[in-house]
Amino acid sequence: MLMLKIAARNLFRNTRRSITTLGTITIGAAAVMVFGAYITYIQYGVQTNAVQQTGHLQVFRNGYFAFGTASPGPWGIDHYSTVLSLIRNDQTLQRLSAVVTPIQSLAGIAGNFENNTSKTFFGVGFVPSERDRMKQWDEYGTESRGLKHSGLHDNDLSKGVTGMGLVRILGLCDRLHLDSCPRAIQPAASLSQFVGDDRPPSANLADLASRDKPEGDAATNLNPTIDLLAATAGGAPNVVSLQIANVEIQPFKELDDNYVGMNIGLAQDLIYGRGEHKATGIVLQLHRTEDLRAARARLLSLFKERGLDLEVRDFTDLNPQYNQIIGLFRSIFSFITLIIGIVVLFTVSNAMSMSVIERTGEIGTTRAMGVRRQGIREQFLVEGSVLGVFGSTAGVFVAQLVAFIVNHAGLTWTPPGAGAPVPLRLYTNGVDALVVLTWIGLLVVSAAAALIPANRAARMPVVDALRHV
Amino acid sequence: MAAQSNNPVVSLTDVSKTYKLGEVDVPAVKGVTFHIPRRRFSVIVGPSGSGKTTLLNLIGCIDRPTGGRVVVAGQDLATLTDNAISDFRAQKVGFIFQNFSLIPVFSAYENIEYPLLLLGVSAAERRRRATSMLEAVGLIDYGKQRPNQLSGGQKQRVAIARALVKDPEFVLADEPTANLDSHTGASIIELMRRMQEQYATTFVFSTHDRQLMSHADETFTIRDGVLVDHVTGATSC
Repeated sequence: MLMLKIAARNLFRNTRRSITTLGTITIGAAAVMVFGAYITYIQYGVQTNAVQQTGHLQVFRNGYFAFGTASPGPWGIDHYSTVLSLIRNDQTLQRLSAVVTPIQSLAGIAGNFENNTSKTFFGVGFVPSERDRMKQWDEYGTESRGLKHSGLHDNDLSKGVTGMGLVRILGLCDRLHLDSCPRAIQPAASLSQFVGDDRPPSANLADLASRDKPEGDAATNLNPTIDLLAATAGGAPNVVSLQIANVEIQPFKELDDNYVGMNIGLAQDLIYGRGEHKATGIVLQLHRTEDLRAARARLLSLFKERGLDLEVRDFTDLNPQYNQIIGLFRSIFSFITLIIGIVVLFTVSNAMSMSVIERTGEIGTTRAMGVRRQGIREQFLVEGSVLGVFGSTAGVFVAQLVAFIVNHAGLTWTPPGAGAPVPLRLYTNGVDALVVLTWIGLLVVSAAAALIPANRAARMPVVDALRHV
Repeated sequence: MAAQSNNPVVSLTDVSKTYKLGEVDVPAVKGVTFHIPRRRFSVIVGPSGSGKTTLLNLIGCIDRPTGGRVVVAGQDLATLTDNAISDFRAQKVGFIFQNFSLIPVFSAYENIEYPLLLLGVSAAERRRRATSMLEAVGLIDYGKQRPNQLSGGQKQRVAIARALVKDPEFVLADEPTANLDSHTGASIIELMRRMQEQYATTFVFSTHDRQLMSHADETFTIRDGVLVDHVTGATSC
């Protein structure tokens, strides 16, 4: 108590120096906390986007994730509705899950033969109502403004959604009346002028497609239809038509230029034809991300009990950019924190060294009066710690103030992995560990910074200290 | 020359102290032997550089001799660890410094109370003794003042009170009037003399001040690190 009293009073002894030192700690603490809150926001934002798209967990046939993505048909889960029921009826998973739904992945060629354009695509078939429910997931309140309703219906197999890039490449921007989609540019001369009248290869696909195509949509106000060609599980080509009900901008250009989403029934028709319909995977979206480990364990245990050869992948496996983005931001955060720590270390160390020099006589006096070396050491360590406590505490309030200002400034931005702008938020709630760790960290740094000056003070011969003027 | 005394509070036997300045050994005290009697007003006098302050430091247990034996309050200091010597000083030795050396962040009252805090004295007892001491040195109305709000004489009064409040075996004062004008110096000497009698304690000074020498019960004269004279009840210089 006595040491605290002396320490607190000594803070006011050289006010300017104390304010400078406290200011450095305060700004450092606030910077770490604000940046940490920002990183947390990024993490939550990226995670929300990932979980909205792919759920927390996906169940595949064992080996599909590593080897089967190029041929999803043969790797489909047999009798997937049984597996689906098994998961949906399990009490533990029922409690943890928000959505359990099948998906069918596929790849092929998308064509707009009215415009003589075609493009490889990769797509996913899903249950539209369940996909829409998945997009409502917002555990952290990020207010993600992604497309919430796909415009698809469970019993309508004819409609689908595409990426903005795909409709642009297929020359459908005009037909879809999309403001942000640029008008197609025509090549200067027709290729046929140079190669004769041979029809392009896609013409054969157009013939194939025309058999299934609804007639006259170009002449009406209906959204345009594209044709999807894919290989069935048996290896035969198959074509279906898909009316574009909606366009979803995808977060990455490659995905945006290739994405087609459709009713799972249509995807299964394309891949399995009239054969047994399978599903590539079963998606589980949980209420809370923290239940992921428990849900995965339960799934694996369930599959083991039933002898099902299935594997479980989480959203970090399915979205490898998630860990890359978080890792990048965390490394930047660590680097900034390290620099701030070093700045605080040297500032406090300098302030304490000056204090030791100025108070050399006082050190001699107190030692002469009977204070032990350890007492002197502790006194300066306490003083460094008091600087750390005041500076870090002030930093918490400054960080809260900065967060309040930022959160009420109406700023938006497009975080990595998102397709649309979202409000910029600094999460100061729910980051208690960050606040506590920053507070403790800077307190420890401040105390450590005082260690060398404190030892110097403690080792000072009493006679020399008393002689100091 | 050796000064003898019965039941002395301080006994120095063939004590020497040599400082090392770079490669050069500088002897400050050379084989001094003397004994300082209890409950006396003793003065160590000598010209500048004669070794007075070094002797005082050795007596006050804030420096160790390079030779000889120092026994203070019956304790041979050579046998004590650094911590034990610190504890010993806290209990047995009171210091009064030339430049007052009050703790600037403490009030006058807190400066007087501080030695009692180091000894773990209870709050009530601390309050009683510190207040009583403030009153004894005539500063009862200045208890809340910080050192920078006090005059030189007032600071030295606080220092005297601080030295005496723990009821030490003896009080060491290194030229306590050197930074005071003659009038204030005289009043401080008067006060110390009165306190020494009132509290029946031992005072040991180093000084150049003739006024102070005239009050001495014992005068030890040192020159070039050697004790050259010891006079009881009169001044020798």
